[in-house]
Amino acid sequence: MSSPLEAHDLSRLGEVVEASSAEFTIHCYQLHVGAPLGTLVRTDGPEILAVVRNVTTASIDPARRPVARGRDQPDSEAVYQSNPQLEKLLRTEVQAIIVGHRGDNGFHQYLPALPPRIHAFARACDAEEMRDFTQRLEFLPLLLQGQPPLADEVTAAFLRQAAAAHSDSESFLMAAGQEVARLLSSDLRRLNSLLRRLRP
Amino acid sequence: MGLDIHGVQSQLDALASNLQSQTAQHHARLQQAIQQLRSADADAINGKRTQGRFAWPVPAFPLNPAAHHSPTLPPPDYRALATDGSRIDIDRHLPVRCALLNISKVLLRYGATPDARLDSTPHLYTGDDQLALTDPDSTREQLMEGALLGLKSSVEELAALAELAEESADDTATLALVDGSLILWGPTIQAYPDYVRRAFIDQGLLPALDRLKAVASRQPLALAAYISLPGSTGVADALRLAVCPYDPVNCDQHCGRLQAGQRPCDSVGGLLDRELFANTLSPGERSELFTSTSSIVEEYYGDHAVAFYYLNVGEEMARVEVPAWVAQDETLLNLSHSLILDQCRRGLGYPVAIMEAHEQAVITGQDRELFRRMVEDALAERHLPVYTSEKARSKRQRSL
Repeated sequence: MSSPLEAHDLSRLGEVVEASSAEFTIHCYQLHVGAPLGTLVRTDGPEILAVVRNVTTASIDPARRPVARGRDQPDSEAVYQSNPQLEKLLRTEVQAIIVGHRGDNGFHQYLPALPPRIHAFARACDAEEMRDFTQRLEFLPLLLQGQPPLADEVTAAFLRQAAAAHSDSESFLMAAGQEVARLLSSDLRRLNSLLRRLRP
Repeated sequence: MGLDIHGVQSQLDALASNLQSQTAQHHARLQQAIQQLRSADADAINGKRTQGRFAWPVPAFPLNPAAHHSPTLPPPDYRALATDGSRIDIDRHLPVRCALLNISKVLLRYGATPDARLDSTPHLYTGDDQLALTDPDSTREQLMEGALLGLKSSVEELAALAELAEESADDTATLALVDGSLILWGPTIQAYPDYVRRAFIDQGLLPALDRLKAVASRQPLALAAYISLPGSTGVADALRLAVCPYDPVNCDQHCGRLQAGQRPCDSVGGLLDRELFANTLSPGERSELFTSTSSIVEEYYGDHAVAFYYLNVGEEMARVEVPAWVAQDETLLNLSHSLILDQCRRGLGYPVAIMEAHEQAVITGQDRELFRRMVEDALAERHLPVYTSEKARSKRQRSL
């Protein structure tokens, strides 16, 4: 019989703790181990895909703010070693923008009818899933709808990761650049800024 | 809207002005008391204590009451245990009679394998069998609310501490911390009948202390109660005996007609123990051990008779109470001293284990409101009558 630890799927990032039609928040199992900005994540249950737009680490109790503790410590790791309660009193959360979901015939690049359930498990997608999802780029308006420059940073980070998953990264970036140019044709400064960020 | 802040301010100004005018006298009394502590004849004070008649509780003095001790080095690997409790008392505005205790347990491990365990468990008390203490020899009973529920919480916290100590069975040095005094009863329980005292002390406090002592007989475990900013005056009051010109001391007979300030012992009166020791202890040092002579301790505590020392933790003067089996074991006594200092250092002036135990146990105002709604919902779901007082309703739905 496997122990709970053995049964634990190491690729699992955490669980959904807040969800709306447009985005959801994942409470990560490990402190400081979130997913990098722009990572494509998916939930189980109804499989919903989303792009990481923000990672936060903060006190679980908003009334208790962390204070500086390391004046006499050689490094920040030593602060955690000498204050073992901190691991239990801080948490890392990931906020992700929903960009699509899986239907009977593959991915849909528009919002699902319902957001993921609270406590749905969330994982980071692997290269194959990333490649499959980015065969089409119809989800880009969902990423670009946020406030620049953050929305552009997230979009660029996502497209750089997607390019790395494609065998012909250059062609992918070219196609993605053209699609972004079409969507941001009325704002050339924003477009130029984003395109500069697409280079790895 | 209810409090006239301006009215409060003028009264506070008068208070501060009054205190300011007394500062010089207070300083003079303090200097004389420190002098008395340094030159105290412990045998004489203890003799006057046992033979005299006076109104204050005074501890037994050690041979050298002004002695101070530096801390030993804390072991690199150790555990700090602490528990705490928070309660929702019986509320007659609720549709059902019940009380809730939330008892926390905290285990912090330091050294090669640092770890933390932080949790709390709620216990709901309902019905007469759980909420009332009954005298086995009569029909008398006492409802467990108010101060008695507070005592119940203290006993449960100590039992949880014993449980935590028993779960951590290896040779790692362990500090088991109680928040507040080990003398849980004080004047509060004196007012209750004997069967209440027996229920809390014989069946609650003592078994928990016995369990902790049993763990300490197998592994290095120091039990200590930590009092921050203590208001105790026992040591300072004993110095009144030292300067009293009458032998035997008899306050009512010799000084009963004198005003406060005119009695011979007022030359060292009105002081707190912590003020005395703030002048005799350097940061990190502890005082000599004094022994409580509280009647409850002498009558009931047996092997767990309480001794205490004052400790300069740097940020403040704390009072630390330990049972006799820690007080008489130099290793455990030194362990309590060095580990409390280490806990205060990590907790930025206050033992981190006690602070976390409090945080785990606390029941917030929001939690209390949620609890009230849960009680009402649980009854409503089963079609039981849900009612509240008009007073409680009017407080919740404030209207113009």
